[in-house]
Amino acid sequence: MNALELTDVRKVYTMGDGSDVVALDRSNLTVAEDEIIALVGPSGSGKTTLCSMAGGILSPTEGRIVVAGEDISDYGDKELTKFRQESIGFVFQSVNLVPFLNAKENLTVVDELGARTGKEAQRRADDLLGELGLGDRKQNMPSQLSGGQRQRVAIGRALMNDPKLVLFDEPTSSLDTELGEQVMELIRTEMKRRGTAAIVVTHDERITEFCDRSVHIVDGRLES
Amino acid sequence: MFLALKEMSRAKTRFGLLVAAIALLVFLILFQQSLQNGLITGFVGAIRNQNAPVLVYSVDGQRVIQGSIITPDLEAEVRDVDGLGTVGRLGQGTFTATSTTSSGDSLDATILGYELGDDGQGLGAPSELVDGRYPSGELEAVGSTGGDDAFAVGDTVVLQPGGFEIEIVGVADDIQLNVSPTLFVSYSTWSDAVQSVNPDAGEPLPNVMVAAPAEGVTADQLVTDINDRSLDLDALTRDDAASETPGVAQVQQSFQLIFLLYGLVVPCVTGLFFLIVTLQKADALTLLRAIGAPAKRLVASLLIQVVLMIGGGLVIGTALYFPLTVTGLGGLELRFETGAVLFWSILLLTLGVASSLVAARRVLRIDPIEATTGAGVGA
Repeated sequence: MNALELTDVRKVYTMGDGSDVVALDRSNLTVAEDEIIALVGPSGSGKTTLCSMAGGILSPTEGRIVVAGEDISDYGDKELTKFRQESIGFVFQSVNLVPFLNAKENLTVVDELGARTGKEAQRRADDLLGELGLGDRKQNMPSQLSGGQRQRVAIGRALMNDPKLVLFDEPTSSLDTELGEQVMELIRTEMKRRGTAAIVVTHDERITEFCDRSVHIVDGRLES
Repeated sequence: MFLALKEMSRAKTRFGLLVAAIALLVFLILFQQSLQNGLITGFVGAIRNQNAPVLVYSVDGQRVIQGSIITPDLEAEVRDVDGLGTVGRLGQGTFTATSTTSSGDSLDATILGYELGDDGQGLGAPSELVDGRYPSGELEAVGSTGGDDAFAVGDTVVLQPGGFEIEIVGVADDIQLNVSPTLFVSYSTWSDAVQSVNPDAGEPLPNVMVAAPAEGVTADQLVTDINDRSLDLDALTRDDAASETPGVAQVQQSFQLIFLLYGLVVPCVTGLFFLIVTLQKADALTLLRAIGAPAKRLVASLLIQVVLMIGGGLVIGTALYFPLTVTGLGGLELRFETGAVLFWSILLLTLGVASSLVAARRVLRIDPIEATTGAGVGA
């Protein structure tokens, strides 16, 4: 089963003056279940819009979106919220951690919002933080962590609900080159270890070497 | 609950300050509520807590017992009214006195004289005693409790000048008049007391008539009938006589205004606090929405915090208020008023939750897409 199938997906925004702006135009994309793809394009090309629709943050104007066999094209707000809670992992570009929760709680909050498995979630958070090299930092608040450590906690949070697809939006943009490469190596290792698919949104071509393939997007159109 | 408690535990100073502010306001509200009730009871407790349902003043008295004089003609008019069940005289005077409880220091005591009846509980007697018995004859009194000059059974009160002695045979709560220690004695004892300090005064006239309606007649109907009878009579029910005593309404209005201000300040402080906090943590809320937190869950978290903050303030404010009700304040007896605590708790919780709905609305407006753009709810 593919992790993601986009079929003729279109997203149109209506502006304040009544005019329409096409952010994504009849795009088709398939991501296999353990595939890591780089979604590359300049600012404003539509990569974040595509990623947001794949993750159930935005609904498409037209087209079909199927994530791990689940068609979310016509989902309403409540269904999308539940879908994001259970099936998708996110690592955002800027805001990634809840500042009043420590590293471990930033992972267990995913469980609190959803299944509430309690001890099982605690154990899973411990395991994930250990795997990410943060076993001794789990009680640290985000403000006590470095940029790279915060990004690793965010990756841990994205994996907490055991998603079929993880979306990374410019995960290395706030990191220096060396740290960015370390984070990308970590992403690749963790995704491959779990057989989880990932889309890495970036405008940095160097990131693509950590991905299985690259998909370019220009002016809302995908170019394989 | 998880998010609400975690946030509060990580920002103890911020939330603690809000609890402290609410606690201070709650303390002030409850303290002033008791102060108001203590003041009014001190002023007119003797009217409220005597057993006559109707009091009849002379119009000239302007609803002040001591200022009212019932002449024999007016008394006859009252006694002639249809629907009157029983009627009696009530006299009042203020005396300088010493008592065995005042360690020789003089005090200003109010003495009310009523017609005892067979059992000492004639019209105008205190409704209820907390100790001792009603007067059965001359030179005996029911004394007021409360304040620095509380009487006890067995005390002797000596009026000055003249040395007229009255023994306390019973005590009752909340029977003060004009915020002074008060004695309820037989009408003839009161008359003798007046003449003992002023031998030239002659036989004093009663200040008011106390009355009860005949069977089948209401107190309100009796009041109407008496007032219709003569333009010089001013009959009032017991509650009206207490509340319309000059000064009482003004005291109540002043306190009501203060309570209204408090009632506005608490929700304003709470609402503003949570609106600021919501705007400050907009990014975190947006992130939570993006990773699957239902908006209602975030609003519930906010409301839990509001209830806990106000609840904490209420508990601490009430705890601060309680000791004052044990010790009292000067001559005023302040009571712990459970009804006031419940009333203000419900009101402040309701207003606090209502005021935080502005912040809740902000939370509901969060669009998870803002997590991808870095724009929060306040943007």
